[in-house]
Amino acid sequence: MDVLPSEEEQMLKNLAREFLEAECPPSLARAMEKDELGYPPELWKKMAELGWFGLALPEEYGGQGMPLTYLAIIIEEAGRAIAPVPFHSTMAAALTIAEHGTDEQKRELLPAVSRGDLILTWALTETDPRLRPEGVRLEAREDGDDLVLSGIKMFVDSFSVADKCLVVCRTSEKSPENKGLTVVLVDTGSSGISYNPLVTLAKDRQCRVTFDNVRVSRANVLGDINRGWPVAEWMLDRATALLCAQMLGATRKDAEMAIEYSKNRVAFGRPIGAFQSIQHLCADMTLWVDGAQLLTYEALWKLDQGLPATVEVSQAKSFCNEKCEAAVRSSQTIHGGIGFMMEFDLHLWYRRVSAWTMRLGTSFEHRERVAKALLDQPGQVRLGMPLTPVS
Amino acid sequence: MDFGFTPEQEALRQEVVEFIKEKVTPEVLGEVETALETGMGPHHQRLLKEVAAKGWVGISWPKEYGGQGGSRIDQYIVEEEFARAGISVGGAGTGAPAILMAGTEEQKQHFIPGLITGEIIFAQGYTEPQGGADLAGLQCRAVRDGDEFVINGQKMYTSSAHYATHVYLMCRTDPDAPRHKGISILLVPMDAPGITVRALWTIQSDPPAPASTTYGTPRTNEVFFEDVRVPASALLGEENMGWYVGAMGLNLDRVGASRYLISVRRDEDIINWIKENQIDGYSITDAPAIRDRLAELWIEAQVCRLMTMRSMSLVERGGNFTYEGSAEKVWAPEHGVKTTETITQILGPYAQLLNGSEGAIRDGLFAHNVMGAFQSGINHGSVQVMRDQVARRGLGMPRG
Repeated sequence: MDVLPSEEEQMLKNLAREFLEAECPPSLARAMEKDELGYPPELWKKMAELGWFGLALPEEYGGQGMPLTYLAIIIEEAGRAIAPVPFHSTMAAALTIAEHGTDEQKRELLPAVSRGDLILTWALTETDPRLRPEGVRLEAREDGDDLVLSGIKMFVDSFSVADKCLVVCRTSEKSPENKGLTVVLVDTGSSGISYNPLVTLAKDRQCRVTFDNVRVSRANVLGDINRGWPVAEWMLDRATALLCAQMLGATRKDAEMAIEYSKNRVAFGRPIGAFQSIQHLCADMTLWVDGAQLLTYEALWKLDQGLPATVEVSQAKSFCNEKCEAAVRSSQTIHGGIGFMMEFDLHLWYRRVSAWTMRLGTSFEHRERVAKALLDQPGQVRLGMPLTPVS
Repeated sequence: MDFGFTPEQEALRQEVVEFIKEKVTPEVLGEVETALETGMGPHHQRLLKEVAAKGWVGISWPKEYGGQGGSRIDQYIVEEEFARAGISVGGAGTGAPAILMAGTEEQKQHFIPGLITGEIIFAQGYTEPQGGADLAGLQCRAVRDGDEFVINGQKMYTSSAHYATHVYLMCRTDPDAPRHKGISILLVPMDAPGITVRALWTIQSDPPAPASTTYGTPRTNEVFFEDVRVPASALLGEENMGWYVGAMGLNLDRVGASRYLISVRRDEDIINWIKENQIDGYSITDAPAIRDRLAELWIEAQVCRLMTMRSMSLVERGGNFTYEGSAEKVWAPEHGVKTTETITQILGPYAQLLNGSEGAIRDGLFAHNVMGAFQSGINHGSVQVMRDQVARRGLGMPRG
């Protein structure tokens, strides 16, 4: 047991930070909010050259086969730099393909992901925002060797720039066993697809996507037909844990900005950082992010070990949602009026962290998952001993 | 990063759990219930000797002083299981870490083996009547007189003074030096002539709390020193460097499994109780607001656990704390209070019933915690002082 980063992990973190500080200033995030494409292809290419996209993908498909925690360290740093790239969505889908895809799918897609030639995303949520199988209504009708998709998806991350999208669809009637869902890989340019970008708090590229009789070959199914929900859950665990890493990276930077500001801003004849009211806010912000970090990496470590980690992921996300939000809010408070000014950079972090708390599960949803594991099964609970997830 | 334990460590935990099942008998727990008031009973003492004989106290301390020269993580595992059973395994707290770092060879040989067997117990002589948070303002004087120090002054809230064998005394040896630079630490035997102990009874003393109450104490003490003479060899570390020795000792004292487990045991207690019990036929676990709050508490308890694991990792690497010990000392006590308050709002009027009352749940444990839980946010440095330390030492924020 050693919960601190190893020498190699720390080196990776430092390299990522140095690179992003040089290549991804806040002005880039600001510019991309108004950019038509919404991400800088040059930065994307450089990140690929550093080997980041293949870091946690299998070696036989052009990756480096490193643990998920390594990828999370990079995503944490990307969060710190609020890097405006479709990194998170691409990784969530690519990891899922690496785990659940056929050999052919992996050969075709994963080396291209590593090279930075393929941007991916995924689509689950429709009108019901909860991450539940019964919310999936988008129908995939079997027709010969094809599936024909009709329906809508909401909040699809980076859809406008993605080449392919993992779509969770309904292939048979709802059932209590969560059967009847299928995950299928769809070309975003397929005939019958249209999309509208949503105007979001983070000014990112989420879309409402309409599927109107979109024809997809059965060869593009990931896993088995009608057995898609476990694939989706597998993806959600990783996507959620990685979003936590991204969120806490951004929050740490946001908190550091407030701490730095308080050491320099003078009021009542002294730096405001000399007042205990400000010191205690800063202490709490730091401890909140520390807690978020420990919970997140414990979940990621368990995923790497192949252990059940759904409860740990939910612990991390609900804690990140509330404490990261509280930390960036404190940071705004410490900055006072300047923090609300468009020309000042702080809001770039505040808006993103806030938006990320709303995605991939609310605090209430995740806590209910923890509560089920904690309260709805027999046997005594013991801190430090794993709880069995209840779906 | 590695959040797991080795198979050997898992086996050690299992062995400790089995040992506790067998050896922590109702007789032992009965004695633990009154130990803070009257000192340890025979069953309690025998148990601690057996624990020491197993090699489970001071696992990470050097072999030449009776330790095992082993891993701090192993020690953490043992501490954690005993703390869960309501037993504090000796030696791990005050005194030993600082003596091992700053003590003379003679002091190490004299004190460490006794701390392991429980034959030596230190009381903490930090706080004085004028305050504890502003420790550097302490006034208890020790004056050098040839080969001796002569001590005069008073300590306050010295909780184990009535059964401790020694006091780990922080006192002023140079009144003309700046506050932090005129302090020394003396290891003073409690039976030295001139020491008087006077009992102070806390709100937890009547009726006595059940043994499973891990918070607080029924009794604490005032200790008076009147021309108390100790040999110069009682000095720990260098003269007038006591502030730094003490700070180091306090830092190490703040980390450890017992500290966090004291504050999170209540989560296990209440969850396990409501899973197995109903009140008048309804199940508490059905209420959505309570479910949400219990999950929230459980998650925060994990943070307490993980912060302790972080400190253990730092100790194991031989690293220095900047704020990590203080971080634990903010989170765990505040969590304990939050859990206690939540429990009162889950059980309603039943949560008022003290030990011995008709209708008391778990011998009034939860009611006693209302009186005890906040104590861990006060002693050994309050949570506010801890936040100051996080801000100043951890974040480099300026003094006011």
